[in-house]
Amino acid sequence: MTNTTSINLKITEMSKIDLRFADELKKYGAREFDACFNCGNCTAVCALSEKNTNFPRYMIRLGMLGLKKEILSSPEPWLCYACGECSDTCPRQADPGLYMAAIRRYTISSCEPTGITRLMFRSNPLFIIITLLVALILGFFLFTLKPEMVVSRWIFAWLPYAVIHSMGLVIFGFAGVSAAWGFASMAIRLSKDQPKGATQKVPVSKALGKVISEVANMKRYRDCDEGEDSFWMAKSWWQRPWFIHWSVMWGFIGLLVATSLDFLLKDPATNNWWPSRILGTIAGILMVYGATQAISYRLKKVTRIYRETTLADWTFLWFLWIAGITGFWLEIAVALGSDNPVNLSVFLIHTVISMELVLLFAFSKFAHAFYRPVALFIAFRSGNALK
Amino acid sequence: MSEKKKKQRIGVYICHCGGNISDYVDVEQIRDIVAKEQNVVVSKNVMFACADSNQKQMVKDIRELDLDGIVVASCSPKLHLHTFRGVAERAGLNPYNYVQVNVREQCSWAHSDHPEQASNKAAGLIRAGIHRVASSEALTNIEVKAQKSVLVTGAGVSGMRAAIDLARMGNQVVLVEKEKVAGGHLAGKGSVFPTGQKGQDLVNTLLEEIRRVQNITLFTEASLEKVTGSIGNFKAEIRVKGEIMTFPAGAVLVTTGFDFYRPKEGEFGYVPGGRVMTLEDFDRLIDASRGNLVHGGRPVKTVAYIYCVGMRQRKGDNKYCSRQCCTAAIHSSIEFHEKCSGIKAIHLYRDIRTYGKNEVMYERASKNGDLFLLYQENDPPVVTQAKNSVNIRVKDTLTKKKELELDADLVVLVTGMVPRSDSTDVSAKLKIPLGSDRFFNEIHPKLRPVETVINGVFLGGSCQGPRNITESVQSSLAAAAKINAIIRKETLELEPIIARIDPEACTWCGKCQEVCEYDAIFQMETAGKVVASVNDPVCKGCGICAPVCPADAIDLAQFTNDEIEGMIDGFSESVELLQAAGSESGEEEKTTGGMKDFPREWRTIMASLQEEPLTIPQISSAVSLDPELVTWHLMTMNKYFIVEPAGLDDNDEYYLYKLKNN
Repeated sequence: MTNTTSINLKITEMSKIDLRFADELKKYGAREFDACFNCGNCTAVCALSEKNTNFPRYMIRLGMLGLKKEILSSPEPWLCYACGECSDTCPRQADPGLYMAAIRRYTISSCEPTGITRLMFRSNPLFIIITLLVALILGFFLFTLKPEMVVSRWIFAWLPYAVIHSMGLVIFGFAGVSAAWGFASMAIRLSKDQPKGATQKVPVSKALGKVISEVANMKRYRDCDEGEDSFWMAKSWWQRPWFIHWSVMWGFIGLLVATSLDFLLKDPATNNWWPSRILGTIAGILMVYGATQAISYRLKKVTRIYRETTLADWTFLWFLWIAGITGFWLEIAVALGSDNPVNLSVFLIHTVISMELVLLFAFSKFAHAFYRPVALFIAFRSGNALK
Repeated sequence: MSEKKKKQRIGVYICHCGGNISDYVDVEQIRDIVAKEQNVVVSKNVMFACADSNQKQMVKDIRELDLDGIVVASCSPKLHLHTFRGVAERAGLNPYNYVQVNVREQCSWAHSDHPEQASNKAAGLIRAGIHRVASSEALTNIEVKAQKSVLVTGAGVSGMRAAIDLARMGNQVVLVEKEKVAGGHLAGKGSVFPTGQKGQDLVNTLLEEIRRVQNITLFTEASLEKVTGSIGNFKAEIRVKGEIMTFPAGAVLVTTGFDFYRPKEGEFGYVPGGRVMTLEDFDRLIDASRGNLVHGGRPVKTVAYIYCVGMRQRKGDNKYCSRQCCTAAIHSSIEFHEKCSGIKAIHLYRDIRTYGKNEVMYERASKNGDLFLLYQENDPPVVTQAKNSVNIRVKDTLTKKKELELDADLVVLVTGMVPRSDSTDVSAKLKIPLGSDRFFNEIHPKLRPVETVINGVFLGGSCQGPRNITESVQSSLAAAAKINAIIRKETLELEPIIARIDPEACTWCGKCQEVCEYDAIFQMETAGKVVASVNDPVCKGCGICAPVCPADAIDLAQFTNDEIEGMIDGFSESVELLQAAGSESGEEEKTTGGMKDFPREWRTIMASLQEEPLTIPQISSAVSLDPELVTWHLMTMNKYFIVEPAGLDDNDEYYLYKLKNN
């Protein structure tokens, strides 16, 4: 049976049932998850539930009962890779896969202190408004770099340069502080409520090593979707979700590093600095390939979990894709040395979207890039990592 | 007691039963021995006595040979008693001049390992049968005139519905109801599943029909005082508004219904009128509300249902499941959702038994967002009243037995059906027994589900056990059909196997009346003296009065002293049966004398294997035993590690066997 229980609160505490939480959670993208009648098929089919024969059924149960505290302090949602096998298997069509995604969004919304994330996930109109607003501000900010342009002068006539500059700093500072706060709050919450004095406390170095290894090769993700009658068995490894995610992730990281290297080390006189250019191109190809496949799977609704895609998810993928494509455009433009208004617009789009992704890091799905490794680390440390 | 003239022309039929009997019992020898008896005219073996062809032959024999008694030696009377009684009747012989001797279940099958002894026993049994039939009497069925009227006790849905059908079939019905109005529990019900009709509307429809059909007399505020008599001729005394009225009835249908379990004060926090109420109370509340539910001045938005209250108690009085309450509770929850908005419901259950079509209600409730939480009997929810709500603490098995807390506006205790408090009274009045669950008991739950041990008293509806409206009506209609079948001919025929008292020998001591469980013996004056007499239709033929009579004035038909003594004589006469030594049928069978030869046979087999391993055919010829028998022995020896296989022989045909410790 199970070696340890994943949820192990102090025995004296009583958890209060909240019957209205289920409706609340549905606003984060969960469907009829409260149709669950506890058969445990999802647990049986989940590739992660080797040691713990409770996942994901137990997480769904917590959602139905409204035990928010338990949900927010579980690392399990962050160990799940949304392969969707559970959704395919659920006899009630309760879409447990979508539920897991929803509680991830819920967790991000709860840990982030400003409440902006909550607004963005729950209301599509607000999401669009906030995204456009941020884009506008970033756009303004960019124009401060080219004060000689017509558009810039027009903007500065209306809003002084200094104000825009300070506004930018404030916004970036605000975003940074919120992000830090959110991440810290999540990490604290997760590590506080792990079983104390568990006999299987794994050393920090070992746990860290496991995390790094997982981030590097996505081994656990690969095990998901390995079911014999799974849709993905017929596909080649480079079509499978784990690789799609790997290429998007490492593509983005590669581009981030390339851009940073350019920014820090490149001699402004040269157009192309080969080390960063090679890295950027390869990473760009990976990211665009991954984003393209991800978008196509969602458009084609290849398995049940791809049938519903939230606005936040679409935005994230399209932004990555556009950033990638415009990036290649600019690479070519710089190589050809052309400098026409079209290229400038593309540059604007590219930069605004990239900056949006960075700025909204803590307020969006992107936060998983932090939450997952931290949760994984904590889970490895206390031996709760499901398998 | 009739003339003690013994039968002189008896036919004996000994059945092979296709080998079931003849494989063990030497039916041919017995036939020959029996044929020598003085009063036996014909003695035959037949392959299957029950076969159509043989039955026809028996009828022919009886007529042509003028037989006055037959003995059939075959299977248990449970199978073919009526078959052969029918044969006798068709041939013009009194069916009680036929005796069934069971030489299969009680002889050949029981003693298949001792065929010799089995044959001896069968011979004894058949001789006993012959003696018995020689002393048998020609009996006729007892005819009783039946009243074409029925007493129905209880005008709930079961009673009313059955009364209507009985009346339509031409019987007079007296429908007796204790309360002021008819309708029972259905009258108070809000809406029923699946038609959604109101209970009172259904009751009104039934009452209309009762008024329309002429033959039903409905008494309300009336109680059953006394019932005497027997099937076909009951006499019922009913108290109506202080007066006693007497009615004749051919049969009685008991449809007294049920009570709801009333929780004790404090059980799950129950207080009459408080926030913890029964499902019955809750239904009335929903029914009376328009729009939103208010209780104790506060709106009700969160309701918790606790199931199995007072039921399924492993250590308590009510061990049974009340069957319909899961459905009822979920139905109420759905009704509540439909009437009021913004409701949240949580069901604390032990099992959900929305069986059959009711499953769709579970689905509906689930879609309404109801939450289901599983608790164990030994760790039930703890309910405490707070100022404006009710607090429940429960360990949810579906959440790893985690202790959870919930605040509800209302707690509904889903209680089940219990027998009415007056059921012991009714049981005493009608002499029908109560089961271990204290509901009325039927004769057999599967084969005779609406009859009681009292002939003429039938059961219908929930007085027999927890059931829903459909099931109640089904059972009471079944009882109505059975009643009608019995009383429609206006005469009843009852089996004559009853006790008989000789008024000349009887000196009225009263002992027989004392021991009779069925009150079938009464005092009678005849020829100047007081004697005991049997009420024929009431007597069940149990025979308990016969041995207690000091004057030996009582006997039981078909079990008279002559018959029983004859049987003993017949059985104990020694019969010389020749040993069935070997090939009677001429087959090459090396028979054994049975298990007592086994040790000897084992020794010879083991001796033959001393030198070298042998195959089964080789062993068989070495020890002169049948190869099948040798195989059987070897397998047993193999199992107990005495021999073991030692490879195949040279032709790769048979396995060789050797002794294990060699």
